[in-house]
Amino acid sequence: MKKFLALLLSCLMLVSVMTACGEKAPADGDEGTEKVLNMRLAKGLLATDWAATTNTSDMQITWVQVFEGLYGMDEANGGYYELLADDIKVSDDGKEYTITLIDAKFQNGDPLKASDVVFSYGVAKENPRFNYVTSFINNIEAKDDKTVVMTLDYPYSAIAHTFWSIKIYNEKEYTAAGDKFGTVPHKAGTGPYYIDQYDVSTGVTLKAFEDYHGGKAAIDTVNYKVITENSAAVIAFENGELDYFTDVPLSDWENIAKAAGEDDCDLAKGNNIRFMSINYLSDTNNGILGNEKVREAIFHAVDKDAVVKVATAGYGQVAYEYMPSDYVATSPKVSEGKFTTYDFDAEKVKSLLKEAGFTDADIAAGINVGTILTYGEQTADKGKAQIVIQDNLKACGLIANVECAEAANVTPRMYAQNYDIAIFADSGNYDYNNIRQQVHSESTGMYIVDFAAKGASVEGTNKTSPFNWQRLEELVDLGVATADTAARYDIYTELWSIVMDTKTILPLYHQATGIAWSDRINVETINPTYYHLVDFSWAE
Amino acid sequence: MYKYILKRILFLIPTILGVTLIIYAVMNITPGDPAAQILGPGTPEADRIAYNEKLGYNDPFLQKYVRYVKNMVVNQDFGISYVTKQDVFAEIWPRYVITLELSFLGVFLAALIGIPLGIKSAVNQYTLWDTIPSLLAFFMAAFPAFVLGLILLYIFCLWLNILPSSGVGTFAHFIMPALAISIPPAAQNFRFTKSSMLESIRQDYVRTARAKGVPEKEVIWKHVLKNALLPVVTQVGLSLGSLICGAVVAEKLFSVPGIGSLIVERITYKDEPIIIAGTILISICFTLVMLLVDIIYAFIDPRIRAKYTNKR
Repeated sequence: MKKFLALLLSCLMLVSVMTACGEKAPADGDEGTEKVLNMRLAKGLLATDWAATTNTSDMQITWVQVFEGLYGMDEANGGYYELLADDIKVSDDGKEYTITLIDAKFQNGDPLKASDVVFSYGVAKENPRFNYVTSFINNIEAKDDKTVVMTLDYPYSAIAHTFWSIKIYNEKEYTAAGDKFGTVPHKAGTGPYYIDQYDVSTGVTLKAFEDYHGGKAAIDTVNYKVITENSAAVIAFENGELDYFTDVPLSDWENIAKAAGEDDCDLAKGNNIRFMSINYLSDTNNGILGNEKVREAIFHAVDKDAVVKVATAGYGQVAYEYMPSDYVATSPKVSEGKFTTYDFDAEKVKSLLKEAGFTDADIAAGINVGTILTYGEQTADKGKAQIVIQDNLKACGLIANVECAEAANVTPRMYAQNYDIAIFADSGNYDYNNIRQQVHSESTGMYIVDFAAKGASVEGTNKTSPFNWQRLEELVDLGVATADTAARYDIYTELWSIVMDTKTILPLYHQATGIAWSDRINVETINPTYYHLVDFSWAE
Repeated sequence: MYKYILKRILFLIPTILGVTLIIYAVMNITPGDPAAQILGPGTPEADRIAYNEKLGYNDPFLQKYVRYVKNMVVNQDFGISYVTKQDVFAEIWPRYVITLELSFLGVFLAALIGIPLGIKSAVNQYTLWDTIPSLLAFFMAAFPAFVLGLILLYIFCLWLNILPSSGVGTFAHFIMPALAISIPPAAQNFRFTKSSMLESIRQDYVRTARAKGVPEKEVIWKHVLKNALLPVVTQVGLSLGSLICGAVVAEKLFSVPGIGSLIVERITYKDEPIIIAGTILISICFTLVMLLVDIIYAFIDPRIRAKYTNKR
């Protein structure tokens, strides 16, 4: 009996292991001898609907390869270009846009119609996540099959970002799928690839769309495999299991660049900038951060070069601007010297602290400036920057604690101005109006410094804003209502100058984006974030 | 005996209810909400509240808990994922199976390596067969799976280039993660087997068997090993339980889509339905494994079997 039981259990265990291990994952596909482009997904694709994807690795698939908007975004050179829009005419008052569509087909074979655009904007308007790019749209209607008329509540010069952000669905495919849309493969986009196989756990397979309006992509099949760990992804690339590797961990850049060869890798300047903010309304240490001299001292205590060296393995760049001026035409250039910058200066820190009323003994003992808060992993760039800044401050007689936790827990605290010093990322788009979220009191996200001092953190207190926040908000409104690039440049220069003078927000560094690819492929254009598979081809 | 098994199976019910209650309570007191994660940071508070309301997230704790348990028991419905909008069971089950496969393979390898080496080491005490495996086990028991996994990746992927670095699909995909998770429990199995064997070897009945002229092989296999196996079985069962929960490191490193890595990923989104269902499945498996260990115990040890037979 015992022998029988032991034998039975052993057999059951072996059979269960062997049979199930033999199952083939959809991501591997039945490629046979077909050449397949192997890509990495840092996390499982959470949805096949562009509107339901929130993290960058998902958006790299749904926002660029599968769906398209009226405009595309030219990351390599900055700005936007017409994609599904053939021509856009703006009325004299800047409130009516007449959009003519190109001749394009959806992946299911249906022609692109104005009604699909109207439907897609309707869906986006109902989604609170897209309020920031749709709230000013008053009405949108189809004039005929190829013409859409969009009416705005007020002129909005940053509308190009809306045209890029809102992707167009095939209405029929979307409604037919009902609640299932986004959870299964579909052909509801106009992009160069459609989703052929989808498994949230293992990955996704894309197939080239035969009738793509820009011509069929050179690579027929693209296989995305979920590889969550960076170290495993590095080995997979070095081992030839990946053909294209974006967001290479910078600590491994040298090895990856060596494995790829100098012609097959690129270190692009990311458009995402890391900032440090100081909550001037904080009560810490008797409201020490409300003292302008102390804030300025903190800014001068930060050694940005050291931060870049540690946080980006030396591959990033020191930042002074809100957006990279080489990507965004309306972004004020630091080289023009029209706004204040803050560089590391230990002597100046001491003199500023003395001006603030602190003695040499206070400085020697260390002045408490609260806690430096950030989100993500402690080993990621913001976590490392936090440690360097803590060390920088200490060297100048300023004592700070550090706290790093999940974004889900930390960002609500930042938005509620419940912090002392914070490190965060911003600016992942190409219109300067994006700054509204940081400086306008009616902004619903990223309003980390309460310039107007009317948030929850000051309710019931006598605190008031020492800043000209009304002018800041005027400039934001003026900037978005002005179409002329030069005029917008001047407006945003004044705006950024005011922000810098408040000594509350300090740009720290531009993150570098490492991209490497195998010698099996050619990559026509390098984009730091949203690569275009349609630009890839097999090497001869 | 059957009564005992039935009693243990019935004990699963309060265990699962207790697990769901604890998980629900923990999820309830942790900060953050699903709408903030799903809709993104720029979403107005009113919209976030409305979205949470739609998900039923703002309902009172007990109401949510009772509804969940009712749906689970009556309709076998674990709900819909907040993040992917997919049926929770459909999303979890394939990953659960993968984790089970990985854990069983890990335990199988751990037993295959640890137990025979433990026997050999005990039988040949103070020889090289004893000192070398003992030394290795000393190091391996303290070796984190992550480090071991990285070493395996370098050897089998980069150096020898014979195994795929990540994913699932073929048996080859399972070799490295299974090895990575099996080495520390193999070391423990070795130590348990060895010490248990040494204890049995010194018993009077073994001396008697030898005095009666029973061949050494028979003494070891029939008299020593049988008695030494009891604590080893418990150890193997416990290691299976801990591997089901603890395979997450190997799952992440080798991108094996298992249930542990899924739960860890969804905790950041506060995807309650997935977290709770995943934890319930893990706890069911753990309890079943413990039940199985107790049953095997009864079969191996005549004293335990006799105890239940007498009762009957």
